[in-house]
Amino acid sequence: MVLQALLKRNTYYDSIALMSVAQAVKDLPGVEDVGAVMATEINCELLQNSDLLPVAFLAEQQAPPGPEDLLIVVRAANEAQAQAALAAAEQRLTSRGDRGSAGGGAMLPIRSLEMALKRDETANLALISVAGEHAWLEAEQALRHGLHVFLFSDNVSIEQEQRLKALAAKNGLLLMGPDCGTAIINGVGLGFSNVVPRGSIGIVGASGTGMQQLICLVATAGMGISQAIGTGGRDLSEAIGGIMMRSSLALLANDPQTEVIVLVSKPPAARVAQEILAAAQLTKPVVIVFLGTSSERFAAAAGKAHLAHTLTGGAELAVSLAGGDRTRVPGEGALHKYDLAAQRAKLASSQHYIRALYSGGTLCDEAMLLLSEQVGAVTSNIPLHPQWALATGETFRGHTALDLGSDEFTRGRPHPMIDPTLRLQYLERAAQDSETAVILLDIVLGFCAQSHPASVYAPAIAQARASAAAAGRTLPVVISLCGTEGDPQRLSMQRKALEAAGVIVFESNLAAARAAASFVEK
Amino acid sequence: MSASLVAVDYSRPIQPLLQQEPRVATIHSVFHRAVNIALDDTMLALLSSELPCMPNSVRLSPIASERLSGSLHAGMEVLIGNASLRIPARDFSLHLPQTPPWEPRPDITAYRWSRETVTRHVRLLAHYLADQPQQGGLAPLIRPLLLGQPAPETPLSRMALPALRMLARASWRQDSAGVAEATGRLAGLGPGLTPSGDDALAGFAAVMVLFSPQLSAGTISRDVIAATIARVARPRTTALSAVLLAHASRGEIAEHMGKLLLKLALPAEASTAVLHAAERVLSFGAYSGSDTLLGTLLALRALEGDID
Repeated sequence: MVLQALLKRNTYYDSIALMSVAQAVKDLPGVEDVGAVMATEINCELLQNSDLLPVAFLAEQQAPPGPEDLLIVVRAANEAQAQAALAAAEQRLTSRGDRGSAGGGAMLPIRSLEMALKRDETANLALISVAGEHAWLEAEQALRHGLHVFLFSDNVSIEQEQRLKALAAKNGLLLMGPDCGTAIINGVGLGFSNVVPRGSIGIVGASGTGMQQLICLVATAGMGISQAIGTGGRDLSEAIGGIMMRSSLALLANDPQTEVIVLVSKPPAARVAQEILAAAQLTKPVVIVFLGTSSERFAAAAGKAHLAHTLTGGAELAVSLAGGDRTRVPGEGALHKYDLAAQRAKLASSQHYIRALYSGGTLCDEAMLLLSEQVGAVTSNIPLHPQWALATGETFRGHTALDLGSDEFTRGRPHPMIDPTLRLQYLERAAQDSETAVILLDIVLGFCAQSHPASVYAPAIAQARASAAAAGRTLPVVISLCGTEGDPQRLSMQRKALEAAGVIVFESNLAAARAAASFVEK
Repeated sequence: MSASLVAVDYSRPIQPLLQQEPRVATIHSVFHRAVNIALDDTMLALLSSELPCMPNSVRLSPIASERLSGSLHAGMEVLIGNASLRIPARDFSLHLPQTPPWEPRPDITAYRWSRETVTRHVRLLAHYLADQPQQGGLAPLIRPLLLGQPAPETPLSRMALPALRMLARASWRQDSAGVAEATGRLAGLGPGLTPSGDDALAGFAAVMVLFSPQLSAGTISRDVIAATIARVARPRTTALSAVLLAHASRGEIAEHMGKLLLKLALPAEASTAVLHAAERVLSFGAYSGSDTLLGTLLALRALEGDID
């Protein structure tokens, strides 16, 4: 066992940089422990208590270290491994852009595509998130440099999208977007994504939260994802013609790790749907979830493709086709976990309507489709039919489902998957309305999402339920909780905290919608 | 970089530095969105306006901040005075806006305070901090300190826990020697450029100076405790941390922390607003936010009585 150390005089790094470097070095072969601290007297005592004080190294220094000096210590199995770890720590620190040093100029942050490529010539994908009016230009430059593009930005015109996708297709590249929220490429999550194992199911989606729901359900069933490719929500429109969905489908068809392919989208243009179905006649099984369209509509053209009506249905089919156990997908079977009929019996005579407050557009769409099948018209800001649109200034009318992540709610404020403020206001309004029979919400976990949503929603829901109780009403709250155990927020921890507040929790949006409908259906 | 800019805003405590005759200062450290400038025994921070206001900050627009930090290095000369800041080597000058300075000492006296309500908020926040999924620094110690639950045993927690207990106990008893001893065991302790122990001490000191007249039993002022913490910590920790502790001992704190403290005046039912403010505090740094919150909650608890 050896201790080796590195002392950097008058050198400052922010705490996030030091933490991430220490964590990365700790994972190297032979490394037992790492300390990276400012060399205050008390931190030297802390290193001693951690068997990390490099006594001999410190004795060799001309002057003892002080509070303005950074001390990095590695304890490893042998000298070579310790040296390699220290070299890796120094390399990681100097390659980061967040140094504050008294010893020379701070490393410039990467501010252009050219700078990024100069730093790492092996890069083959650019993630672009800049103001919409500049996004197309950055994307075009990236494509011309031979990079695949994940285009998070929105406000890119349909004409620009056509041109970018044509350019990408010509060069055999992916243009994921614009307004692409989710992807998992070679195991790396981009945008809003979940921590899932790698596996044999590949997904292509023109829908961010739709893909996240599929990914999470597949992971809960014990299966993994090979690739998840986002295309941007307009890809299957008449104007774009499904260029990226077809390119992605071809990529997955040739990907040896992908054994089953799932395509997911909101209702596509009829011509585009036919082309996608034709392209999906592969030797590998392909599952298609075109939300909002009946299976019968495309049954004749489906050929070998498997059509599913819901995201949960798509996940069950994919798991089964990949050799897994479809009953492990948490679907409608979970409805039996709660005594919904008993809760319904406690509703007051004034309580007639479902109030759904969604942050995910596709999840909201799916819920509206399912609810309307069971309870009739569902008014919304993204209505299934024009006559079900909410009027200006109207919050709820009858059964109502709001997509609080849509543009009119997010202009000038963060998305509700990140900041719950707006949705909490709507929750309070719904709870105060004596006609509300049940409140339905989605909570999406994973990277980029709120760090601990249950800590905010559980007390707010408990308070809403208490207010309703004071007014003589019981108020059931159903949550569609989309996430995995590996997510930073931990699925089980969020579920436990929400259930402790009396919330009915389902991992399947289908089950959540069915549960909500059961409170009001005739 | 040749430019002459007007700052977005500036903090009241640094106003005297900028209004005196020009003096030579030195760039201490440079980060993406922050440049620290040392002058005598204090430090002024040039921040991007994406970051919250700090007690020692002058904030610039994000674009100006990025361009500036990319062109500077530590040790460069800065002239501060005559309501401006100049960096001759870069032909750069920054002028103060004609607006009043930002006040980093929250106006506690403008609110009506209830000990019972604050106690309930403290309990809520203690559970919130304890339930955070990814914890480092001193935050896990909220469990043994305020919730009567065990915390993971680490070298850091073994050193910090008795010192934090001693700090709370000595503060309640107005035992300056005990406060000094506890501070000596915490100052400069733990990870980070502002080590965890310092962040906890800053939260603790700020509460002592801001809230003891309103909330401590007997409404006894505990300003002396905050001053002791800053004085004892100064030679034991980093220069930047010492400056922030000195501000905290005068009740001058970061913007997001001040907002959280004022939310504690809300009724107990307004838990969502309190938790939302706490979430913003936790997002600061790797552990700085959670460590500061730990010190804040411990101090509020110490004002209620002996933690034993």
